[in-house]
Amino acid sequence: MAASLRPAILRHIRLPVRPQGQPVLPSWLSSIRAMSGHGDDHLTREEVVDRVLDVVKSFPKVNPSKVTAEVHFQKDLGLDSLDVVEIVMALEEEFKLEIPDKEADKIDSCPLAIEYIANHPMAG
Amino acid sequence: MAFTMRSVKVPPNSASLAEARSRVIDFFKKSCRSIPAIMEIYNLHDVVTVSQLRSTISSEIRKNAHLSNPKVIDMLLFKGMEELGNIVEHAKQRHHIIGQYVVGREGLMQDASPKDQEASEFLKQFYTSNYF
Repeated sequence: MAASLRPAILRHIRLPVRPQGQPVLPSWLSSIRAMSGHGDDHLTREEVVDRVLDVVKSFPKVNPSKVTAEVHFQKDLGLDSLDVVEIVMALEEEFKLEIPDKEADKIDSCPLAIEYIANHPMAG
Repeated sequence: MAFTMRSVKVPPNSASLAEARSRVIDFFKKSCRSIPAIMEIYNLHDVVTVSQLRSTISSEIRKNAHLSNPKVIDMLLFKGMEELGNIVEHAKQRHHIIGQYVVGREGLMQDASPKDQEASEFLKQFYTSNYF
């Protein structure tokens, strides 16, 4: 009788395993958690400006020395409308966004692009 | 073949040049957004970058920038959509993509050596015009 009870009891006993070196966190700490995956890592405006300018400068038809944060794509850089769309797509890739058509049509200069991306909550 | 036929939709003709133009822009955006998937399917990460492919697509579109007949633009758009659909469906192989969009037509031509400088004008034009 005892011999058959023994394994049945042992199978249901669980001892908590604690790693040796690690202190145990107090229980109130474990109730704190990050509420969202992308949390507080909002882009600062300076970072957005730098990265937008990098994308525009790396565009093959653009002379990098002409690029500033106030530049207009068609008037100042001599690009055509297809080039502008290409830059907007490059910005989408850089900031992992999908800019809807209506918004994308409005973006025709660096200030507007910076404005849009800096205000976008999902820009990363 | 059923799945191919489903994806090929013939849109109504563009009424004006402006409509055709906005369709071209839409097509360009659509193809740009599928570049990452294409790079994944054909394993292109070590031969080309996303921005290079984007420039290739825009230069293919710019080749036809002089057209002003909406019907012709619609036809070219249809061919472009078909091509994009085929590429995304993995109907091609890696060397097709590399040959057409990474190396380019000039890179594949074998008549660049000095020996072939004397090749006839007809043959040169034949090489440049018959790679589709």
